[in-house]
Amino acid sequence: MAFRTTRWVLRYRPSQRLVHWVHAIAFFVLLLTGLALIWPPLSFLAAGGLSRLLHRAAAVVFLLTPVLYALLDFGGLRDLVRDSFTYTREDLEWLKGFPGYFLGRTSHLPPQGRINAGQKIHHALTILSYFTISGSGLILWLGKGSLGPTGLLIATSIHDLSMAIMAVLTVGHIYFTFVYDALPAMTTGYVTEEYARMEHPLWLASLPSEPPYVIEVREAIPETPEEHIAPLEKEAAG
Amino acid sequence: MAQLAMLIDLSRCLGCQACVIACKAGRELLPGERWIEIREVVVGRFPDLRGAFVPHRCFHCAEAACVQVCPTGALYKRDGFTMVDFGRCSGCGYCAEVCPFHVPRIVDGRVSKCATCLDLIQAGQEPWCVQTCPAGALQCGPREEILAEAQARAVALRERYPNAQVYGETQMGGLGVILVLTEPPEVLGLPPRPQPLPITVWKGGIQPLSLGAIFLSALTSGIAFFIARRRHLEEKNGAFARSGKAQASHHPNRKE
Amino acid sequence: MKLTRREFLRRWGAFAGAWVGLSHLGEPVLAFLRSRSIRWPWYRSEEVRVTYNYCDMCMWRCGMRVYTVNGRVVKVEGNPKDPKSRGRLCGRGQAAVAHLYDPDRLRKPLIRTGERGTWSFREASWEEALDWAAEALARLRDQYGPESVAWFAHTTGDFWFGDYLPLAFGSPNVGKPATGLCLTPREIAAQLTFGRGLGGHEPVDWENTRYIVLIGNHIGENAHNTVMQDFVRALASGAKLVVVDPRYSTAAMKAHRWLPIKPGTDTALLLAWMHVLITEGLYDREYIEKYTVGFERLVEHIQPFTPEWAASITEIPAEVIREVAREMAAHRPRAVVPPGRHVVWYGNDTQRMRALFILNVLLGNVGRPGGFYIPRAPALDPYPHPPFPVEVAAGGCGAATAGIRIPDTPGHPPRADGVGTKFATGPVVIQELIEPMITGQPYPIRGLVVYGVNLFHSIPNVPRTIEALKRLEFALAIDVLPQEHLAWADIILPEATFLERYDELWVASHRTPYIALREPAVEPMPDTRPGWWIARELGMRLGLADYFAWSDIEEYLNTRLMSVGLSLDRLREEGGIFTWSGKPYLEDYGEGEAPFPTPSGKIEIYSEALARAGFDPLPTYEPVEDPPPGYFRLLYGRHPLHTFGKTQNNPWLAEVYPENEVWINEEAAAALGLKTGDRVLLENQDGVRSGPVRVRATPRIRKDAVYLVHGFGHRGSRLSRAEGRGASDNMLITRYRLDPISGGAGMRVNFVRVIREV
Repeated sequence: MAFRTTRWVLRYRPSQRLVHWVHAIAFFVLLLTGLALIWPPLSFLAAGGLSRLLHRAAAVVFLLTPVLYALLDFGGLRDLVRDSFTYTREDLEWLKGFPGYFLGRTSHLPPQGRINAGQKIHHALTILSYFTISGSGLILWLGKGSLGPTGLLIATSIHDLSMAIMAVLTVGHIYFTFVYDALPAMTTGYVTEEYARMEHPLWLASLPSEPPYVIEVREAIPETPEEHIAPLEKEAAG
Repeated sequence: MAQLAMLIDLSRCLGCQACVIACKAGRELLPGERWIEIREVVVGRFPDLRGAFVPHRCFHCAEAACVQVCPTGALYKRDGFTMVDFGRCSGCGYCAEVCPFHVPRIVDGRVSKCATCLDLIQAGQEPWCVQTCPAGALQCGPREEILAEAQARAVALRERYPNAQVYGETQMGGLGVILVLTEPPEVLGLPPRPQPLPITVWKGGIQPLSLGAIFLSALTSGIAFFIARRRHLEEKNGAFARSGKAQASHHPNRKE
Repeated sequence: MKLTRREFLRRWGAFAGAWVGLSHLGEPVLAFLRSRSIRWPWYRSEEVRVTYNYCDMCMWRCGMRVYTVNGRVVKVEGNPKDPKSRGRLCGRGQAAVAHLYDPDRLRKPLIRTGERGTWSFREASWEEALDWAAEALARLRDQYGPESVAWFAHTTGDFWFGDYLPLAFGSPNVGKPATGLCLTPREIAAQLTFGRGLGGHEPVDWENTRYIVLIGNHIGENAHNTVMQDFVRALASGAKLVVVDPRYSTAAMKAHRWLPIKPGTDTALLLAWMHVLITEGLYDREYIEKYTVGFERLVEHIQPFTPEWAASITEIPAEVIREVAREMAAHRPRAVVPPGRHVVWYGNDTQRMRALFILNVLLGNVGRPGGFYIPRAPALDPYPHPPFPVEVAAGGCGAATAGIRIPDTPGHPPRADGVGTKFATGPVVIQELIEPMITGQPYPIRGLVVYGVNLFHSIPNVPRTIEALKRLEFALAIDVLPQEHLAWADIILPEATFLERYDELWVASHRTPYIALREPAVEPMPDTRPGWWIARELGMRLGLADYFAWSDIEEYLNTRLMSVGLSLDRLREEGGIFTWSGKPYLEDYGEGEAPFPTPSGKIEIYSEALARAGFDPLPTYEPVEDPPPGYFRLLYGRHPLHTFGKTQNNPWLAEVYPENEVWINEEAAAALGLKTGDRVLLENQDGVRSGPVRVRATPRIRKDAVYLVHGFGHRGSRLSRAEGRGASDNMLITRYRLDPISGGAGMRVNFVRVIREV
């Protein structure tokens, strides 16, 4: 059996991953139970009020994730907010090259730090939508019965629009995750050094090249390559 | 079935609330739940007083804001009445917010408002409230007949009540409960011209737009995934093959 | 690549399939939720069983159809065949179901273990409770005579404990609130004037009348079903309405004229109207000549009672008094001044009712369309029984004509209520049976059987009632709900509600004479028993088996029905009601038939009987005491969803109208610094307090009076919904003026001041 050694780079600390998944689960519960009130084929989920209960339970979790993040890892939250709203010329350059990035290429982009311009915008919009969706949601929840038609329409419109923004962002988020094999970042916490070099070379350069930031993993190379990777690799190589 | 409607003649109502209890009994409503309320209105200064008992109940608007706003289809129109499918209700309470008459309530996690005794009408009977009203102030029948009756009554009442008038002919596209009023609606606490909501902005604009954006982004991503994934692997394997030498040439600012 | 796409499509296909499946899954989920959240409407069930009854939610006795599904009563409806309900019911009737299933109901016979008034009871078997009660009653009867036990009875089931068992037992002291606390002065006045009482259903010919004058008559708040139906129909067909009331009542809302009269001055107004009719020659001369005696004396008598004289007393302008009198006359004989109910106001009530009747007579409307029709009752034989040792003297709401004796009729049984001394005549008055329990005058009453009467919400001067209850040697209560007075009983027997029992037939004196059936819709709640069964069991134990010769209630009813060619089955086939044709108008009576069975055979405008007994033979006005400074006159009345003190705990009715408010004129309230919703206590002239109760500041009442809906302010009961809600008017009625003719207790003579609750 042959072995291969890969270098992995620590991208997310356990607390960050925990916050991410709590937030993600709450978000999807909210999305599904919320869509039940917008999309008729899902309306049966709303009957009887179970979805309303779930929506509110998930809403509490969703609302509290920033607090959870602050408690577990205040520095991480601070960095996230600061980075999300700090933009440089490189970011503009990066955005110009976004179409290419969207279609799977990174080499034409200016080298990026820990967070690229796309992620910054994603984070910034997520933070802003967090406030609009939570605010309108709380108004709908706590003001129930005294909103009046105008209040209801304004609040639900803001809520729906915020939801749409967050949902579209999430679609993109998942898309890029799978295009660029970024999932391990949020499961194990590590990305391959190769990924870090392609996507965030400045950040990689800024890290000390020692554990826990960079680790080496020795793994067995399978005897027969995985069926649909092999042709791809062949194709790519050829 | 033709468009139906109910008639409530305020000149006849004695405020005895038999309808309130008959409805509660016949529809087996929960403790605390009532589909009809009777409000007493007296205006003027002693001894020049005028008064009436005003029903506070679903008026079955033709252009019902509650039906338009209901996310699950639990509220719907049939034969001129606003029906309720309680099994479909999510208890969101939007109907309670938008009703120009502030009628629907949320009781036990679901909407509570007159769900119409249409099954009784179809069986040749009358709604419970109509059946029992000792004063005979309530009627139920085809809307055209009810409206004609109401107009005739309003004219006949002018001698005793100079302000007698019909309410519900045009409000909210025409109500399914036509009232014969003894005083102008504003005196009796009824909105003279309740405004339908600009609900299409929300229901017909923002919601489809939101759903569309989500589906479109999902679709685009789904298609793009195959292209992007292939290109990414190309790049990655290329880079891997070239061992990173060529990388710098891709972008002028790119550094090792 | 191809493989990947194929794989993706395969997975997408599976997902899409799952999605379609999921959306199909939605329907069963929905169906399940529907089945859980909404029951199938009861009336679509195939097992709806219909039984017949007459309503006990008030005393009006509307015929009803009772719908039972799976052993549970779900709904009551008016019986379309019934001349009273005509297929409709009021809110109280509709709430009969909630009465039946009131969780507070008495469930077990109870025997007292501690002090009276402390609710110290133990549960007992029926056998033990009945034995004990019968033994106590027998002991009193043997030691002091049967008259030492008083029997108080009310509700539509009061036959057994008001009209049957006490008479077999031999006590003349049978009191019903419907007499001295309600109708007696009116019935005596009618008896004196027309030779017959009016009966429980006022025979007003609403459907033909064109002009209605209501005096202190609160139709709408007084939700008597038939009256509401007839009243509204009369107005809808164009009848004019004048309402005389210190309060802008529901009826006043519908009126063409509202005359906010000064309380207590009604007789002056009636006399002034007579004055106008007579002096302006507007009365029905032909009718007066043909049907009446004593008119010439009235002409003379009426001279001083000018509209100007009345205006200064009643605070109604003389011109208005004249106009109304002229309008009345213009519409006669289709103009009517209905007599109303609960006429015990100021202690001169027989005379006021006489004035009201004579005013109607001047309009020529008695026995004429648009005035008063003449009611008749079916003639059913009683179930054969030995003669009673005492005569029927209870009267009552449904049978007010029975037992009324005009002063010159000899042979009163020895009653303890002071008839012949305190007052002249009439059925036993319940409130005068309290004093003999305390003072022993004219002889002591030592035992009491109470059936369906809330002693603290019906009989005035509650402190005196409590004093009497303390002194009793034995008190037996039969009731459905744990009302406050039950705490003072030695034994409590829980009765089944009217929906769970057979009862005596309702034999109605009406425009169309009829009988109505009461039959059980469901079995009585465990350990409750029908009134007839309790009466019979007590009777058997008291050695009165001869009076209960029937084997069961169905035999009893069948035997009575047989006397008019009917049976229980036949009555059911007929829809629970059987009617006969009546003779409503004078024209239905031939020569020799006497529609007015007075001594003269005519309507007695001038009453020889009253003259002989030393009373004014023609009505006069007697001024009433004004409230002292800082006090209001206490007026009381009804809410359409409540009956006396008995419905405040009904789950449905309590939900809609849970507590009463004290109506205060808005300017008077402002002067006291009070606004609607403030909580206040009411204190009467004797320092007795009631409340707290919320203020209702309203323009709907004069400044010299306050108004309470009667029956609220239960204190010391075991009624979970009614206890402590609102204020009791009866608690504040610590004094009354006894009508010297009829013994009616005039109760509008109490004054209260309003104290802000601190």
